Amino acid sequence: MKTSTIGAYPKIPAGSGPSVRSAIQRFEHGTIGPRALYDTYHAVVQRTLAIAAEASLDATTDGQIRWYDCFDPLCRDIENLAAGGLLRWFDNNFYYRHPIVTGRLQFQGGTLAAWAREAVGASAVPLTVALPGPFTVQALSEDRSYHNVPKLFGDIVEVLQLEAASLAGTGIFEVQWDEPALAVGAASPSLEEARQVYRDLLSANTVRQSVALYWGTCSSWLLAFEAADRVSVDAVTDRGVLTMLARERYPFEIGLGLLDARDVRLEDPTELAHTVEPFAAQYGTDCVWVHPSAGLELLPPDRAAQKVGLLHTLKHILEEEGA
Amino acid sequence: MAKTLNTTSVGSFPKPASLMEARTRYRRQEISSAVLRVEEQEATRAVVRLQEDLGLDILVHGEMERGDMVAYFAENWEGFGRSLPVRSYGNRYYMKPIVEGPVGLGQAAGFTVQSWNQARALTNKPVKGMLTGPYTICDWSFNTHYRDRRALTLALAELVHEEAQALEDAGAQYIQIDEPAISTRPEEIGLAIEAMGIVTRGLSVGTISHICYGEFERIYPALLDLPVRQLDLEAANGHFALIDLIARYPWPVDKELALGVVDVHSHRLESVDEVKAGIRKALEVIPAERLFIDPDCGLKTRTWEEARQKLQVMVSAVRQVREEEGLA
Repeated sequence: MKTSTIGAYPKIPAGSGPSVRSAIQRFEHGTIGPRALYDTYHAVVQRTLAIAAEASLDATTDGQIRWYDCFDPLCRDIENLAAGGLLRWFDNNFYYRHPIVTGRLQFQGGTLAAWAREAVGASAVPLTVALPGPFTVQALSEDRSYHNVPKLFGDIVEVLQLEAASLAGTGIFEVQWDEPALAVGAASPSLEEARQVYRDLLSANTVRQSVALYWGTCSSWLLAFEAADRVSVDAVTDRGVLTMLARERYPFEIGLGLLDARDVRLEDPTELAHTVEPFAAQYGTDCVWVHPSAGLELLPPDRAAQKVGLLHTLKHILEEEGA
Repeated sequence: MAKTLNTTSVGSFPKPASLMEARTRYRRQEISSAVLRVEEQEATRAVVRLQEDLGLDILVHGEMERGDMVAYFAENWEGFGRSLPVRSYGNRYYMKPIVEGPVGLGQAAGFTVQSWNQARALTNKPVKGMLTGPYTICDWSFNTHYRDRRALTLALAELVHEEAQALEDAGAQYIQIDEPAISTRPEEIGLAIEAMGIVTRGLSVGTISHICYGEFERIYPALLDLPVRQLDLEAANGHFALIDLIARYPWPVDKELALGVVDVHSHRLESVDEVKAGIRKALEVIPAERLFIDPDCGLKTRTWEEARQKLQVMVSAVRQVREEEGLA
């Protein structure tokens, strides 16, 4: 059984230590300069990666520490995709700058690849870069240019392919496409359409690619991602997805989001182990991942760290039991 | 107060550096609560003075005593534990409370009246009493005690009602119950309405609910059933698309609309003309006597000068529209 984190992580410390929040405040008040701000970001990235290493995770994101939100690197790397006004991030008290399509999308690249290189260089744990997938990008963007959904969507898929390609040489472990919009029903393509889009998206690159579904119904989309290396599901919101995954062996590795990324309460590691064991037997220990149900940034930093620590405990229990 | 297009503000104002420092020193136990209160009162005085100087019709006290609109109540009521901060956007964080036991007023019954009273004493204009709604307090807290969100929301509604009653008893003419989380889960709009019915039960003052940064189309027109006299909605951030939504349904004759006309999350200063355009668009669907004008949300994320300038633009736009349209 493998463990990982799958998204954003708190940018502030649980105790003392570098804090993006404080650094930005001091930068805006003029008491530190660009170098000190940059160095703080780097130090927080390092701390986030160190937490993953201490927990012996098998993969981790860099916590998206430099990111304003999940669309931030796309808005920086794609010409004519601009960061717009704040909107609620699904049913969370978190707000993202919704992307605005102002002209025909062109991939320029540079920012995310640089951030990925920085994280890879600082990480003892294989690095995952999690990006919003095409259905989520399209569903949450405001189109002020195309006024033609199929044409816009086709270009979104192409620029995302180029973004993934730009990461191929950075040393990352995988690109993870997040599709909460599918899970919550903010995007509703047919299953066949989703399957075709993902077949095209994933086939364009040699980098390992996975898909993450969270905050809604994951079960109904599993068949859309047969070409993915791993499909991660939110088993907290959609408990029924475990039944689906147990009913047949899907052709991809499975990621079980069993730790509630929006609840401060810690799960019982023994109960988690009992949930995971049958899947390890069915899929093979190398093909089963356990992770939080989503990124941990919606938790206070101490609780987020405890959830990562719980993954370490869980792994230890399962290794002792031979799973 | 004018008869049409009354101007107001939503709630929070930027805290001056001296107050921020005092709050830090208080947390470090370097100063007493009495010293902190003096700083808060001085800052409140400045907020009231600014609004009077600009000519706003209905004032707010600026929430100088509050760090966060939910944590403030959690810190004063029973049943809540504290957590470390959680980010909500950009570089804004809030202390997301943890409900660990039955919620109750404890010793804090009527605790919001004091700050309202202090502001009221500084002006002859009406000052809004400011509360956070039960649905939002529930949604922005971790719940480790109540069996479900409904049970927690309704328990909180009784507490908010007690605060609202205390403000009315103290003489508040307007009580604003902020519910920014109300559009979070459209399937729970009925619960939010039920909870607001508990909050406003038996009140005779003007009740307002401020709602922002949500997808209004997901809860419209059900939102019109929220039992308050005035809906205070953010519109500038969405380039006034809100008004297109409102125009699809008859505006209730017993409801007022407060329209957010400046974006509080942008450093950019709006022009008077673009604010006027937003107001004129709203006037096409809401009668002037039931249309109030304010910023999109609380101004605490702006600098003092940005807040002043945005309010100035807002007031100038309202005056020009009143004059050009021949409104009183």
